[in-house]
Amino acid sequence: MTAEVLPRRALWWLLACHFFVVLPHLTRVPWWLLGVYIGASSWRLQMHRERIKMPAKSIRLLLAIGGMAAIFASYRTLVGLEPMVALLLVAGGFKLVEAVRVRDGYVLVSLGFFVITTQFLFDQSLPAALYGVIGTLLLVTSLVALNTSLHQPLRTLEPLLALKMLTLAVPMMLVLFVVFPRLGPLWSVPSKTGEGTTGMSDHLNPGDVARLSRSADVAFRVQFMGPIPDSTDLYWRGMVLSSLQDGVWRTLDWRDYPASERQLRRPKLGDGVLDYRVISEPTYQQWLFSLPYATSSHEAVVEAWDFRLMAKSALETPFSYRVQSFEPIIIEPQLSPWRRRIELQHPVGLNPRTRAWVDAQRAVYQDDEAFIKQVLATFSQQPFYYTLEPAVITENDFVDRFFFDTRQGFCEHYAYAFVVMMRMAGIPARIIGGYQGGERNPVNNTLIVRQFDAHAWAEVWLDDRGWQRIDPTAAVSPDRIRYGLEQALQSSEGFLADSLLSAYRFRSVSWLNWLRLQYDAAAWRWQSFVIGFDSDQQFELLGGWVGKIDAPALITLTLGSGAMVLMPLTWWLHRSRRGSERSEVEQRFARLCAKLEGRHGIARERGESPKAFRQRVAKKLASTEPLLRELDQTIDSLYRSPS
Amino acid sequence: MQRRLPPARSITLEQKRLFIFPTAAGFLFLAMLLIMLLTAINYQNNLAYGLTFWLAMLFVIAVHFTHANLMKLSVTAVAAEPVFPGQQSAFVLQLDPAGRKAGHHAVQLIWPKAVHVVDVSPCCSERVSLYLTVAGRGWYTPPRLKVVSTYPLGLLRCWSFVYLDARALVYPKPIMAPSVRRAVAVESTTGITDTQGLDDLAGFQVYRPGDPPRHIDWRSWARGQPLQTRLYASQSQQDHWLDFDDFEAGTTEQRLSWLCSRALECEKLGDDYGLRLPGFEIAKGKGDRHRERVLRALALYGIDGGDS
Repeated sequence: MTAEVLPRRALWWLLACHFFVVLPHLTRVPWWLLGVYIGASSWRLQMHRERIKMPAKSIRLLLAIGGMAAIFASYRTLVGLEPMVALLLVAGGFKLVEAVRVRDGYVLVSLGFFVITTQFLFDQSLPAALYGVIGTLLLVTSLVALNTSLHQPLRTLEPLLALKMLTLAVPMMLVLFVVFPRLGPLWSVPSKTGEGTTGMSDHLNPGDVARLSRSADVAFRVQFMGPIPDSTDLYWRGMVLSSLQDGVWRTLDWRDYPASERQLRRPKLGDGVLDYRVISEPTYQQWLFSLPYATSSHEAVVEAWDFRLMAKSALETPFSYRVQSFEPIIIEPQLSPWRRRIELQHPVGLNPRTRAWVDAQRAVYQDDEAFIKQVLATFSQQPFYYTLEPAVITENDFVDRFFFDTRQGFCEHYAYAFVVMMRMAGIPARIIGGYQGGERNPVNNTLIVRQFDAHAWAEVWLDDRGWQRIDPTAAVSPDRIRYGLEQALQSSEGFLADSLLSAYRFRSVSWLNWLRLQYDAAAWRWQSFVIGFDSDQQFELLGGWVGKIDAPALITLTLGSGAMVLMPLTWWLHRSRRGSERSEVEQRFARLCAKLEGRHGIARERGESPKAFRQRVAKKLASTEPLLRELDQTIDSLYRSPS
Repeated sequence: MQRRLPPARSITLEQKRLFIFPTAAGFLFLAMLLIMLLTAINYQNNLAYGLTFWLAMLFVIAVHFTHANLMKLSVTAVAAEPVFPGQQSAFVLQLDPAGRKAGHHAVQLIWPKAVHVVDVSPCCSERVSLYLTVAGRGWYTPPRLKVVSTYPLGLLRCWSFVYLDARALVYPKPIMAPSVRRAVAVESTTGITDTQGLDDLAGFQVYRPGDPPRHIDWRSWARGQPLQTRLYASQSQQDHWLDFDDFEAGTTEQRLSWLCSRALECEKLGDDYGLRLPGFEIAKGKGDRHRERVLRALALYGIDGGDS
């Protein structure tokens, strides 16, 4: 590699594009990394002005070790994707200071490409992809700037040339993208921590769901093969919270199950089928959301023993899965003794007032369904309020305080109180966490479910009918279920408090709303066809073209399509050469002039016509000179040529 | 390879003459692509796949662009100036662009110890001078010229070896003729001998280093005037025969060097001089063209392909 000095223009481009590609990472790495970059580039610029020198090697080494230590201090580990990216960025920052030679420029460009790649590991959305494209364009521009000589008479517009080359590379890239075999991971790689992601967690405290309503982030999108069901039926079941300990509801871990219970008691499937595809945003959790009762043919999706769908590994990237939901159906017509015990557990000795109330009501309403109706009627008739900001209850007697004193709560408060009361009455019950409703996008007939659609409701088990969904919130605030959260709230309170600039807030502006829905439809297509493109889709697509897919077919396809793309390209590049400004004859004439000057010292003057030059040559050379004859022929064809 | 690409005065870089291979930066780029591909596979990330493929195809496109940057470029050896050994001769090369709109960027012309980077715009021919240090009397043929370009991305190097029919004439190295020599002025009584003092004084000129000490006008110097040299009427008309056979000692090369030195001396003094080499004679004369003829004859004495 060349040891020449980095050209000034290339230095500017390199600094610019490194800032550009590093910028989005600053939300996931410690803030001081921005300081490292600003410090490094100002140092480098001062070096360029020859005000300061490059720091000594020992100092650079110390700084690098210091940077690593600081990252370790921030994350308490160096394993994991975020710390590794932070290390990469520290290395990039220090390399900026060291960038003196042309070869350092190449190292920086390669590093920049890798930074963009790591960018995609965190965010594969449409804007992130566009951002990556611009970053790539800038990096290629830096490459061009590294290779244009300093005092050139030919001005190249580096970005234009970079754009031209990258555009020409697109067709082949698309071919490779479709044809390249999608292999499974070759080895396990550091995973993301997913810090700062909003979404449901595996436990439920009163107030957790209310907090989600502050965010308009998309949780998942759904496309139905048929019409979208009524919004009162859209209960997206995610977690089954069966265990109540110390005031916190939790899902059962597979370790909690005794050996005899570790099996899936598949219900008999009914006739009513709902067919839909869900694309979930990264949740860094394993559970998936679906309408009950759901099955999926996706190989990475499993069914948990409490009838919910789970991914085999935590969702670090958008995940697309096809679901079939069946209704009506009886889930678990027989409850095993272990399951019954689990679903009836409640804190002993707490909530004495509720206990007394339940015992009194139960004496009147012996029938389970009648008792449930009575409890729901109490919720709707007594002055219970549905609010995002209920009074905080810190006592252990949560249900007592809520049911008799505060009487304000969000969905999880009602579900909590309801399930405890059911269990006190001897009816197996549990809380279900998930989302309810969603926004319909008429552009592509999808449903957009956002964080503020988060919801908690209950399931009770009834003899011969299995698990039945009961939503106590519907009794308190029917509007929540029918029209969504925003309509149900008396005032805007804390709704979308964390999403001040979300386009969702500006739905009332019609053209903005149109734009928002169009964008969401594009995001759906992007997620399903680009990000979600996997070996299944690949086989489906390629199978349609070539029939059976095997190794030879793939290779033939790759080479064949490669030739099909490259040949026109070669032709195009050659064509631009043939449409030349200087014809073959003109070139021959120029070479002949050079020859005459070299051998006989007869130089053609600037602007001298070929004929005048010929006369001058003829005076000086013997008429037998072969060069003279050659000159005659060339000038002849020069005048005869069409240009 | 030399046989495959015979020397010519003008060479147009064609497909078969051009070689292309990744540079060190190119290999770094490819290594980075491999890491990116592994990242894409292990994280099952389609955008990482996309970027990797895009850059890989950019590399393929760069092969075409780098190649096209040198394609059809003509290199012509125009002239080289004759020089004395140890001096640098300027080889003038003319680059004629193929008609492509983009021209030819950052074309490196490389001879050992002589590198020149030039841009050739699509409209005009470009002339460059490369300076090569020459050694030894006779024709100096430069080694093969390497025409290199890594434009536009620096990931690939396209090059061609060009055997240009370019040569520079190298004169003998001028060496002061030894004092031990046969009666210098062979023909008649001319030459720098005692007889000079007998000639008529023609005037004075300011002393220049190298003027014979005995011609210095010591008397005026003693009077405090600047050092002056006396000029004699006959001196400007003196004529000399530089004869190869005048010397008793010395190898051929030495004699040629001595003759060369003397020819330059005569030229400097403004005297007429002629040259006699075995079997070859140049009549007396002076001036640049005469000097050129004499030096050329000395340079090419005994060398095959002689006076072409």
